[in-house]
Amino acid sequence: MKKAFVPKLAFEGIRKNRRMYLPYLLTWILMAAMFYIICYLAQPSVLEAIGRGGSTQVLLQFGTYVVALFAVIFLFYTNSFLLRRRKKEFGLYNILGMDKRGISRVYLWETQLIAVVSLILGLLAGIALSKLAELALSKLISGIATFTFTISWRAVLYTAVLFAGIFVLISASGLVQVRRLSPMQLLRSESYGEKAPKANWVLGLLGVAVLVLAYYFSVTIKNPVSALALFFVAVLLVIAATYLIFIAGSVLLCKILQKRKRYYYKKEHFVSVSSMAYRMKRNGAGLASICILLTMVLVMIASTTCLYFGAEDSLRTQYPNDFIVEAIDNDTGVTVLPENVEVYRAALTKLLTDEGVEAKNNSDYYYFGVAGLLHGTTLQAETSFVDTDTYDALTNVYILPVQDYERMSNKQVTVAPGQALVWGKQTQKLPKELTIGPVHFDLIPTEEAAIISSGSMIQGFANLYLVVDDYDTVTQTIQAYYMEKTGEILEQKWRFAFDTDLSSEEQLALYDKLSQTFIDALAQQNADGFGYRCEALEAQREDFYGTYGGFFFLGILLSMVFLIAAVLIIYYKQISEGYEDQSRFDIMQRVGMTKKDIRKSINSQMLTVFFLPIGMAVLHLVFAFPMLRKLLLLFGLLNTKLLILTTGVSVLICAVFYAIVYRITSNAYYSIVSGAKE
Amino acid sequence: MSLLEVKGLKKIYKTRFGGHAVEALKNVNFSVDEGEYVAIMGESGSGKTTLLNILAALDKPTAGTVLLDGKDFSKLKEASVAAFRRDNLGFVFQDFSLLDTFTLEDNIYLPLVLSGNSYEKMHKRLEPIAEQLGIDRLLKKYPYEVSGGEKQRAAVARALITNPRIILADEPTGALDSKATDELLRLFSRINEAGQTILMVTHSAKAASHASRVLFIKDGEVFHQIYRADSSCEKMYQKIVDTLSLLTGGGAE
Repeated sequence: MKKAFVPKLAFEGIRKNRRMYLPYLLTWILMAAMFYIICYLAQPSVLEAIGRGGSTQVLLQFGTYVVALFAVIFLFYTNSFLLRRRKKEFGLYNILGMDKRGISRVYLWETQLIAVVSLILGLLAGIALSKLAELALSKLISGIATFTFTISWRAVLYTAVLFAGIFVLISASGLVQVRRLSPMQLLRSESYGEKAPKANWVLGLLGVAVLVLAYYFSVTIKNPVSALALFFVAVLLVIAATYLIFIAGSVLLCKILQKRKRYYYKKEHFVSVSSMAYRMKRNGAGLASICILLTMVLVMIASTTCLYFGAEDSLRTQYPNDFIVEAIDNDTGVTVLPENVEVYRAALTKLLTDEGVEAKNNSDYYYFGVAGLLHGTTLQAETSFVDTDTYDALTNVYILPVQDYERMSNKQVTVAPGQALVWGKQTQKLPKELTIGPVHFDLIPTEEAAIISSGSMIQGFANLYLVVDDYDTVTQTIQAYYMEKTGEILEQKWRFAFDTDLSSEEQLALYDKLSQTFIDALAQQNADGFGYRCEALEAQREDFYGTYGGFFFLGILLSMVFLIAAVLIIYYKQISEGYEDQSRFDIMQRVGMTKKDIRKSINSQMLTVFFLPIGMAVLHLVFAFPMLRKLLLLFGLLNTKLLILTTGVSVLICAVFYAIVYRITSNAYYSIVSGAKE
Repeated sequence: MSLLEVKGLKKIYKTRFGGHAVEALKNVNFSVDEGEYVAIMGESGSGKTTLLNILAALDKPTAGTVLLDGKDFSKLKEASVAAFRRDNLGFVFQDFSLLDTFTLEDNIYLPLVLSGNSYEKMHKRLEPIAEQLGIDRLLKKYPYEVSGGEKQRAAVARALITNPRIILADEPTGALDSKATDELLRLFSRINEAGQTILMVTHSAKAASHASRVLFIKDGEVFHQIYRADSSCEKMYQKIVDTLSLLTGGGAE
């Protein structure tokens, strides 16, 4: 065989099948570019330049694994489409006298050509777009925009290694198939229709049962911790159920439609229903894959956009005030001495006056927190381990002195001994009484003092706020009880929280000074054992956006990858069916079918079949909603309305996108089947 | 007036860049009367297939007219040509052209479905035809489940079900064994006796010997024709063979 012959044959093979190869090449390029970009961004040096690291880097690192895994699976899958189509040609070469080695060489050349070209183009595209992606990421996580352009050779290397690996995998599987190739088998066109599986209804019922189970998990989910645990189980169940239902369902649908003679023997439906029935199992599997990818995209977009746009909300839930100062006594840990508090308070007031800052919504109180499991009216001292079962019972009880409550709420109240005023946050029902070890309270529901901030108290758990008269006695009794029960020292705290009218930069500046003021005050006081904690919402914002913006960015990136996959599956489904149907439409045109009839028949297929996956995906999303809501609670996001909004918008965008893609691919299908004749 | 009239038919194929032109049909003239059974014979490359494609309105002539019932259908638009084809022509092809996605029954219904008939009407029409062709038990089967002869009978049923003015058959026995060939030819004769006009293109002398008239095409022109009159199939067969040897002999000169 002449030397240049094999490359030439390979090149011609690609050129002639460009309708199949072009999207494949594009997928390679996009995957390579995507992988390079995410590798590039996940580098600590890049993130440091933006001014972020930590959580964002962990997220992006995770993203690289997902993209890599998906690239392997997906390129392998699309390659199988191509190979199926090329086999016939290879069979012909075989008959014409080319041996298996020759064919293998042609095939290797083809794959090699694709791999090299796409890797180069993909890297170029990736490098070109990496800066844009970096700026987008920097914007989302409100980092610093840098304008230096760098190429990461490490990311280039990773990308090259990954795609070389994929190339080896794909060629190996292709070569095995070429080896098994029997020319007669290849030349004979696949003219057998698929038979309905024997126990079709059993499969269908199983699918429905599994789906109901998955939905049941999601709908009845009680708390975020079990949501986290069950989420992946539910995802796997839904994937299995989707395949079962789509395969069994498409078989059933075809049978029903064919039985309904009025419907079936209409020229718009006749052809499409019969060709659906002809490849019902393959059809079902393809639609299920599309449905699952769409569901993933929807879930990701809906939840990450909600997180991102709800970041401000979560921030506010966790930091109700701009500034929070807390003090504890490290030495005893038991009481906060009023004289020490007085030093702090004075230093704080002085600083605010010096800076000319007006503090608003001040709250200034002593408090004392107990966590435990609330069973009936008894708070059990058990905080060591939170799991699915104990989660719901977990309650934080905060106890405040009545003087502080009166001062902050400007109200005179009387609380008798053995009584406590109470209000709750995230509690289902306020208990009538409460027992904590030796202490027992009759609870009197009262208005929440609006100015009392819940601080960085853990969200998602029930919080009870108790106002008591004999604060010192109560705390000491409970402290002693806990010490004995769990060996845990419960700390009394003093808290001062306030808002300001300052700009973000001024707040950060004040935050720095605040810390310094306390360090100075502490030195003056010479009270080593006294500890303090300062928190500013503005300082936390960075970290919040680093995490939530990172999630959002990753969500968009992965959604793009999955959408590309869904688009390609639709495209290959249409194209390969188009080639199969070509000869059929040829015959039908001879018997008297017009091009208009072909159009109508394609449209009928679109209506009956192609909107099923997106419909099902939306159904999945609706049932995933309770679970998503619970999961987002873990991120301190309580805004259900926002989640509904982002979910709705994602569904809308996906549907429009899907319709456009479907239109384009059905045009490709049309041009294949109608171009066969005339 | 004859049912089908072909006048001065000419077809020139050009290569894509307009360079080399091939004249497939030079000047074809003939007519077919109602109820006739005409066979058109000729060697490969004589222009038979081109002629049939033009008669089937699948291709347009470069010059000349084809009149069916005095109407020139080569001038019709795509959509109306398709309807015309459905309503007036029935096709039987060498490769059967059955769709493997349909049962035989649905294959037979195809032209009627395309013209928008109801199932009840189609079913009523199918019953006698299926019985006549002996395929009434095979209707629920798929093409890949039945033999070649049975497939071709289903194809004939599909051609008949529209009550066409004329049946165009393109090498209908080409892919059949001798037993199935005999059966199909007997079937054609029977249909013809019932009044159906048939135009068959073939290069099998045996197939042509069943026709009432045989036209011979050579180099894009009708070269010769013979009538059956009252002669038997055997005699007709002899006449055809003689003409064919004359035809090829003429070519050797």
